[in-house]
Amino acid sequence: MQIRGTEIADTFAEAFPMTASRVVVTAVSLKWAHVAAAAATGYAASVIGCDAEAGVEAELSPDDTPDGRPGVALLFFAFSRDALQKALVNRIGQCILTCATTACFNGLPVTDRSVRVGGNLRYFGDGHQISKLHGDRRFWRVPTMDGEFLCEDLFGTVKGVAGGNLILLGTSRAVALEAAERTAAACRTVPGVILPFPGGVVRSGSKVGSKYKALKASVNEAYCPTLRGAVPHTALPDSVNAAYEVVIDGVDLASVEEAMRRGMRAAAGPGVVRITAGNYGGKLGPHHLHLHTLLGPVTPC
Amino acid sequence: MLTLTLHTQPDVPLELDGVTPDRLLKLAAADVARLPVAHGNRTVELGTFFAVAGDASDGDLRIVGDCSRVKLIGSGMTAGTLTVEGHVGWHAGARMAGGTLTIHGDAADWLGAEVTGGAITVRGNAGNQCGAAYRGSRHGMRGGTVVVHGSCGDEAGLLMRRGLIAVAGTVGQAAGASMIAGTLVALGGVGRDCGAGMKRGTIVVGGPEPAWPPGVRYSCDYAPAYLGVLAKQLATLGLPLEALGVRCYRGDLIHGGRGELWHLAAATSPGPA
Repeated sequence: MQIRGTEIADTFAEAFPMTASRVVVTAVSLKWAHVAAAAATGYAASVIGCDAEAGVEAELSPDDTPDGRPGVALLFFAFSRDALQKALVNRIGQCILTCATTACFNGLPVTDRSVRVGGNLRYFGDGHQISKLHGDRRFWRVPTMDGEFLCEDLFGTVKGVAGGNLILLGTSRAVALEAAERTAAACRTVPGVILPFPGGVVRSGSKVGSKYKALKASVNEAYCPTLRGAVPHTALPDSVNAAYEVVIDGVDLASVEEAMRRGMRAAAGPGVVRITAGNYGGKLGPHHLHLHTLLGPVTPC
Repeated sequence: MLTLTLHTQPDVPLELDGVTPDRLLKLAAADVARLPVAHGNRTVELGTFFAVAGDASDGDLRIVGDCSRVKLIGSGMTAGTLTVEGHVGWHAGARMAGGTLTIHGDAADWLGAEVTGGAITVRGNAGNQCGAAYRGSRHGMRGGTVVVHGSCGDEAGLLMRRGLIAVAGTVGQAAGASMIAGTLVALGGVGRDCGAGMKRGTIVVGGPEPAWPPGVRYSCDYAPAYLGVLAKQLATLGLPLEALGVRCYRGDLIHGGRGELWHLAAATSPGPA
């Protein structure tokens, strides 16, 4: 299968379930909401080495936020609800509570699978915190030096899907990077999706395990152009001199599928030799996202 | 929908205690008309004063007529919808736990007294002790919302512990007195002794700045994020709150000073907003 001269490999991305939560951060301006968001979602590229995977899902207008101020929606993913609660409490406590003018709200329905965030952060108020109950939603107001930090008590969770991915093989680094940027931009148009890596682009595609026992993951040499000829197997055609990966996490399988679909269509073009995906032979995750199936019948052009 | 139409004005107060949508669900109109109600110190059938028509099985009850002398309308209600086309007497919605009570008229004293849940809306004015605790009781309103689109009398929110009382007009003396928690909004202003003896909770006051009780102290001018959340909630209830910030006071210091009193109009420097 080809799109605009780019080969779509007959393979699949292997994704797996993770617990996800949506955090709505508001502030006096969109600038400060983004400052808080950048801090809270920093060092959250991969659960291989971070407590969570996180990213900015969307900007929100004042009409779409609980307190009528501009804001951003963030998505956080972790392996369990306990891990997610711990990551949220730590990250919101250190990066959003501390950030000027911010407030923090739950962005998913609250169920019996919710995690307690504001209910843990309230103790920073040292007895001066104030609880407000609106219907079933409890808010905690914690005094700060610029007024107060407002945080919702419970945050809903869903069983999300992490590990959707596309690997773009280009004739040069410039071509591959440009294609990766196009892909990331297209993926971000899908609601319920984040790209947890810096700029949405990964240059350090990894494999499970290492020759060093302490490492859970190490370089995937098959996609490193500098190792072509030095390792027994390469996944790079001769004309390829750079590859980038775009990793996609979503609140459900459909959103990840749609993001991959849009990403492939955006990536294809001159200089992009092949679009492929990373998997572990089907042994890691239950979700196998076949590239050809996602695209359906494609008219060659 | 079951409709009760007042055809005879009671000469002494009539008590509609227990005549609520949740309790009438399985009754036919004729059975409802035979329900015993207190008329002064006598027990009479409901049909003596009300014409009963319709079907109660959908949990929707409508009362039509000037019920100023009818007490306890909607009291103890736990679910369903009760709409009154006219004024209501004392204790409307008192100790209500759920459902919605809408009054297209005025409400007398003790509206929503000690309510624990549900939503009460009064299109006109309300009397004294709205959402308050009964004499000798430790807690007033404990949940739900009471919205008054007109004005309200004295002692609104007395000893209230949770929930929201929102008044578009003015509230009389001792608003939120001895308040334990919850939120009381008086967009048109309050009388004297507002928040006297309050332990916690939030009182939001519009209109001219009142003379605060001696135990209330100025805190700061700022723009609480919670103000936006409250404004959005009030907007859904039909009450516009358009303020960028508040002038915040704390009180009553004689009870620890953990209550907060916000004056909307006087906020001159709304802090970070």
